[in-house]
Amino acid sequence: MTNSTVRRNLSVGQRLWTLGGAALIGFGSMLGIGWYENMQVDTGLRRADDIQQSIDSINDMRVANLTLVLAAMDSIVDREEKIIQPDRLKIIADSLAVLTSGSKQIGMIAEELKAGDLAKSYDSDVGALRQAIQVDLKALVEQGASDAEFGKIDDRIDADGEKLAATLDKFANDGAVVARNRIDSANETSRSSLTIQIALGVIAILAMAALQYIHGGSIRRGIASVRESMLRILNGDLTSNVAGKERGDEIGEMARAAESFRLAAIEKIDLETRTATDRQRSDAERRERESAKLADAEALSAAVTALGQGLTRLANGDLTANIDQPFRDELERLRQDFNQTALRLRQAMGDIALNSTSIQANSRQMRAAADDLAKRTEQQAASLEETSAALDEITSTVRNATSRAEEVGQMVAHTRQNTEKSDAIVGDAMAAMERIEGASREIGTIINVIDEIAFQTNLLALNAGVEAARAGEAGKGFAVVAQEVRELAGRAAGAAKDIKALISKSGAEVKIGGELVTAAGEALRQIGEDVLRIDGHVKSIVTSAREQSVGLNEINTAISQMDQVTQKNAAMVEETNAASHTLATDAENLTQLVRQFNIGEGMNARQTPREASAASHPKPSPARSLIGKVAGAFTGGAAARTLASSPAGDNWEEF
Amino acid sequence: MSNAIKQSGAYLEIVSFHLGDQEFCIDIMAIREIRGWAPVTPMPHTPPYVLGLINLRGAVIPVIDMACRLGMKMTEPSERSAIIVTDIAGKLVGLLVEQVSDMMTIKSEDLQPPPEIIPEAQRAFCRGIVALEKTMVCFLNLDTVIADELTREAA
Repeated sequence: MTNSTVRRNLSVGQRLWTLGGAALIGFGSMLGIGWYENMQVDTGLRRADDIQQSIDSINDMRVANLTLVLAAMDSIVDREEKIIQPDRLKIIADSLAVLTSGSKQIGMIAEELKAGDLAKSYDSDVGALRQAIQVDLKALVEQGASDAEFGKIDDRIDADGEKLAATLDKFANDGAVVARNRIDSANETSRSSLTIQIALGVIAILAMAALQYIHGGSIRRGIASVRESMLRILNGDLTSNVAGKERGDEIGEMARAAESFRLAAIEKIDLETRTATDRQRSDAERRERESAKLADAEALSAAVTALGQGLTRLANGDLTANIDQPFRDELERLRQDFNQTALRLRQAMGDIALNSTSIQANSRQMRAAADDLAKRTEQQAASLEETSAALDEITSTVRNATSRAEEVGQMVAHTRQNTEKSDAIVGDAMAAMERIEGASREIGTIINVIDEIAFQTNLLALNAGVEAARAGEAGKGFAVVAQEVRELAGRAAGAAKDIKALISKSGAEVKIGGELVTAAGEALRQIGEDVLRIDGHVKSIVTSAREQSVGLNEINTAISQMDQVTQKNAAMVEETNAASHTLATDAENLTQLVRQFNIGEGMNARQTPREASAASHPKPSPARSLIGKVAGAFTGGAAARTLASSPAGDNWEEF
Repeated sequence: MSNAIKQSGAYLEIVSFHLGDQEFCIDIMAIREIRGWAPVTPMPHTPPYVLGLINLRGAVIPVIDMACRLGMKMTEPSERSAIIVTDIAGKLVGLLVEQVSDMMTIKSEDLQPPPEIIPEAQRAFCRGIVALEKTMVCFLNLDTVIADELTREAA
């Protein structure tokens, strides 16, 4: 878009707004001034009216003043009645009320006339008059005072009434003057405002005419030039520029839009010419391509024929097929790939031939090995059965041993109880021995008494003998008796001595017996301790027997597992056997198939097949080590040693 | 006394007792009483064989250890020991002996005089020897054994 410098001037709307604004300002100012002057006049007239009303009320007051004074005079005249007539009193009161209420109007007029001192004196004058008429005169009339006093009060009332009347006249006259002045000034103001309004209206009309001329001319010229330019474009004249593009208002925008239409039309004509040229060039190129494609088709058919022949040979098993004639450049790659494929197939087939021979040999060996394995598995199953039977016997033996050991434990406990009882019996025996000793001691004491008695008897007998001897012949018989008594005493003493000896002997025997009983008790206690030890051993025997039982159970489980495994092994060996037989047959078939392919010379015997060695990886036998452990547990390691001394690397598959 | 024996002629009644291993005897007529052993009250300034005094029914009598008096070992008094109360020349004397063994009657012919080989002074103690079946018993002369002592003491 031609973005030439755009002048910044007023738009059409703005121009219209300036016209309207000028009219608004003119008429607004006229209206405002008229309204203001009217207000002023109105206020002045209202004040004049107020003053006029005040003057009217002052006139009323002047009448009231006169009425009052006349009423007072009449009262003085009729003083003989000694009373003031009630209707006169009412007149006096009404007149005084009018004078008093007019004091406000008097204040307003005084303010307007700037005569405040007069207004103040008015109130005091009214007061003085009231005093003179309502109080002093009334008192004088009722008292029936002298004529002199009445003359005095008459003068006073007259003076006050005249003074009041003068004041009221002054106010009335001055107020009339002021009111006339006010009306005159209002009329003056009204005239001057009319003049100002006319002047303002003229100024506004002139300003609007000038603006209308300037803005109207500008808009009209701009629209006319744009219209001309657009007509030129419509008639095909695209070379000349659109006028008025540089304007900043709506007309400038219209001019710029017309310029864009012009530029778009120019561009469209250019595009049409370029398309026609391009179409001619592409027609020439297509013709060239068609001739080249024809040549390509011929070369392709030659290559396809050659490839077809090669593939037919491959299909017939001739892997020596090769395409020697070169193809077109882009198909040459295909020929090379075919040759490469044939070569790879040749090599692969050669390898397959070699490997199939090897597989054949190995499968034969596998067949033999699988037969052997089947035989050995059967042997193993038989061995396991025997082992299981032996293990059952061992289990029952161990169970028997356990129950025997438990019985022994019970017997030992019984024996221990008996031993404890025998301890008590030994104690009882000891106590009995002690009792025997005590009894022996008592017997000894008694024997001593008997001995003493025998001794004393002996002495008595001796004395008797002595006395008998001294008695001479007369005491002979008595002497014989005394002798007899002495002999008896001697015998008693001897017997006592014998008993004493016997008692001491029995005491010694009892002592020995006590020692023997103690020794027996000690021996029994020893037996008890031994029994306890036996009990401990028996318990440990029981414990180990139970452990053995548990171990045997585990062995039993292991053997049953081994049995199951062996069964499965046997099944699997049979399957393996069948599979190896099938494998051998298949390997022979494979060799036959591979021989059908012609793979040329030099491809055979790239590698000699390796036969599996019979003993590649001998493994340690877990079962043998288990047997070694079991044997060691039962025979104190002798068997384990014999097993351990056997060669470490033997093949357990052999057993 | 000897006269009395001779006069009676045929028989002598004697009481035999033991002192250590030896056996002695005295004339039964010299004995007043035989009693068991009782503790004695020792006396000062007495020969060793005088053991002390005892109270015999109110009478105070001395007790003499016969074994000691006869030049043998002192007797150990025991409950089975005996005191033979004798009347020697009108005085009561207690003789401590180990054991009163027998009271017997012998013929005066059985009393044999002591051998003369023993000196006179010592021979005076013994009036004779009584030979029994198993042992020989010395018949003590209490007058010489005790009386002399008493007289000497008195002197």
